[in-house]
Amino acid sequence: MDDPDASALVKAALQHDDEAARELVRQLYPLVAKLVRAYRFRRTPEEDLSQMIFIKVFQKLSQFSGKVPLEHWVSRIAVNTCLNQIQSEKVRPELRQADLSEEEQAVVENLAVSSEELAPDKRFASRQLVEHLLAALKPAERLVIDLLYLQGLSVAEIKKMTGWSEPLVKVRAFRARNKMKQQLAKISSKEQL
Amino acid sequence: MSDSDDKIERLLRSAALAGEDIPAAPPFGFETRLVALWRSGPGKPNGMANLLRRVALLSAAVTLITAVAAFREVRQSREVGESFSNEFAIADSAIQSEFGR
Repeated sequence: MDDPDASALVKAALQHDDEAARELVRQLYPLVAKLVRAYRFRRTPEEDLSQMIFIKVFQKLSQFSGKVPLEHWVSRIAVNTCLNQIQSEKVRPELRQADLSEEEQAVVENLAVSSEELAPDKRFASRQLVEHLLAALKPAERLVIDLLYLQGLSVAEIKKMTGWSEPLVKVRAFRARNKMKQQLAKISSKEQL
Repeated sequence: MSDSDDKIERLLRSAALAGEDIPAAPPFGFETRLVALWRSGPGKPNGMANLLRRVALLSAAVTLITAVAAFREVRQSREVGESFSNEFAIADSAIQSEFGR
């Protein structure tokens, strides 16, 4: 969304132009949906979360100064709303081999025996396996892995979206990766037994 | 790069290529519902909320006035009590000195 467009829409929405407000929702929805999905909520439906975020965005819309791009401003509200909401959801206990499907177990085996890239037909199963590994991480770690590795954003971009400092993004990513590595190593060792 | 680093890298790369079905548009009616919710939100309280707010303000004012009145009453009665105790002390010392003689 271009900044002049965004500012014009914000201004119009604040002056009771409902169509402009609806247009803002339509334009910002993919961004909000992506962030909500990145947290992997188990109990709160994604649509409810998105609604909660947009209500907050609109309630604070008069505070939007235009100094930062609207997307960054909205994503920070989304990140904070999701973090507050997810506090009540406990982190899942560590992954057991029984939780994995046959395809996911095949991915684990493949990673252990070969150093080649995984075949395209293993992508879906590897995604599922990553989802399992992410479930055992803290919410902020889940978000950083999703943004950094699955969505391919840079540390600088994540900094702008979340409001976290670059070292914090890196530390969270490092810790999250280490936890995922340990989980994967445990599963691999059981797999090989 | 260690073996476990390499494994997790390959796994994440493969997972990233799987893509995800993030909706490009909001669900049907989502934006209309949201704008309606916003317009009827806390900025414009309904009649009941307004009434409750007024009742709360009124009862706070009544409580404050009653507290001030009670405080003044207690202070006045304390002053009266103190004057009585002074009179008792004077009478007491007069009696003591009378007996002393």
